[in-house]
Amino acid sequence: FSVGYSAVALNHVIDFKEKKQEIIKPVSPSELFPSLPIVQGTSKRIKVLTRLTLVVSDPSHCNLLRSTSANIRLYDIIAVFPKTEKLFHIACTTLDVDLVCINVTEKLPFYFRRPPVNMAIDRGIYFELLYTPAIKDSTMRRYTISNAISLMQICKGKNIVISSAAERPLELRGPYDVANLGLLFGLSESEAKAAVSTNCRATMLHGETRKSACGVVYTVKKPRKVEEEETTLPACKKAKTQA
Amino acid sequence: MVRFKNRYVLCEVVSEDPRCRQCIEDRAVGLAVREAIGRVHGDYGLACCSISFTVKYLNAYTGAVLLRCRKDSYRLLCSALPFVRQLESRNQRYPCALNTLHVGGTIRTCQKFLIQYNRRQLLMLLQNCTNEEERRCIQKSLLSCSLTEEQSQSGDEEDDDGME
Repeated sequence: FSVGYSAVALNHVIDFKEKKQEIIKPVSPSELFPSLPIVQGTSKRIKVLTRLTLVVSDPSHCNLLRSTSANIRLYDIIAVFPKTEKLFHIACTTLDVDLVCINVTEKLPFYFRRPPVNMAIDRGIYFELLYTPAIKDSTMRRYTISNAISLMQICKGKNIVISSAAERPLELRGPYDVANLGLLFGLSESEAKAAVSTNCRATMLHGETRKSACGVVYTVKKPRKVEEEETTLPACKKAKTQA
Repeated sequence: MVRFKNRYVLCEVVSEDPRCRQCIEDRAVGLAVREAIGRVHGDYGLACCSISFTVKYLNAYTGAVLLRCRKDSYRLLCSALPFVRQLESRNQRYPCALNTLHVGGTIRTCQKFLIQYNRRQLLMLLQNCTNEEERRCIQKSLLSCSLTEEQSQSGDEEDDDGME
C-alpha cells in the first residue's frame, strides 16, 4: 500500500557491546527492491538511502567514526545514539554525524543541557525521535512523550526529525499523521510539519556534504571581476585533518 | 449567528489481511477510534471528542472513512488516529492502520477531495493492470466520475482486490 513518502532510509544498527564488530557494507537498495514504486503525484521513483546507527556507550567507540574505514563513507546518513551525558556532549559538539538519536524507550539517565544542544543546532545536527514504540506499547508511550517534551523545552522545537523504527508495514504512518504526532510531542503545527518534511531534507543534504567534501565552495564572479569564494551551506565544518 | 462548527476527517483504512475489508463497518471503526482516543487522551479526551462524533461515510471496498467531530476537539481526534491498531467486529480482530487523507469543514469539500483521490488511485491502477478487459473498465469509470447534483457518492470505484 502507498502512504505518500518520497524518500526512505534503511537503517542498520551497530551495537558496541559485543566484541569486535566490523562495519559491513550497506546493502544496496537495488538488491532489495527490483523496481521501486513511483511517488504519488510525480513521476519519479522513491529514493532509498542507507543509514547507519551507532549505539555508543563508551568514548572509545567514537574512534571508529574518525577512522578512515571505507565502509562508513558508503552510508548516506550516519546517526549516533549516545547513552551517557558525556557522550551526548561529545556527539553534539565534535562528532561527525548527521543525527543524534534520543532514546524513547526508557527514562533518560541524563538531562539535556542548553550549551551542547545549541552547539548542535548551530552545526546543523538534528535530533531524532522514534514514534513506533509509542504505537506499540503504553509504558513506552509515556517515556516517549516525556522525553520528547523535555527535549522541546530545551531546544524550542528546532532541528527535530521524527522517524519510525517500524518492523512491520502496518506500523508505518503517513506524513500527515506523523505531523499530528509531533503536536503531541509539544511541537507547534508548523514545526511539526517541518519535522517531517524540511528537516529530513536538510539531513539528507547534510549527509551528502559530509560524504562528498568537508565543505562546499562555489565561486561567484562579481561585476568588478574579482572572484569571491563563499560557502553555501551554513552547517559546513572546518576542514578536518584525518586522525 | 450561533452555529455548531464541525470538522470532517477523511481517512483510509489500511490493512494487510484481505478479510479485514469485509468487517469494516461503521460501528467497528467508531469503537476502534474511541478506544484509541481513550488510551491516548484519557477520560477528558474521550468525553471532549464524543460530543458530536459519528462515522458519516464508509466504503468497505476502498476503505475510505469519514468521521465528524467538533471543531474544538478535532486536534485531539487527529492526534489519536495514528494509535488505532486493530478493528474488532463479530469477535474477530484484524490489525490495521488509519491513514489520514484530508480534514475539511464540510462534507462537500471532503467529497471533492475523495473524488480526486480516487481518480488518482484509478490512474495508478491503470498503470499496473495487465488485462485488456480491466483496462477498458477502468478507463470508462475514469471518464465518468464527476460530482452529480443529488449528493450521491459518484465516482465509480473498482473493486479493489488487486490493490493493497
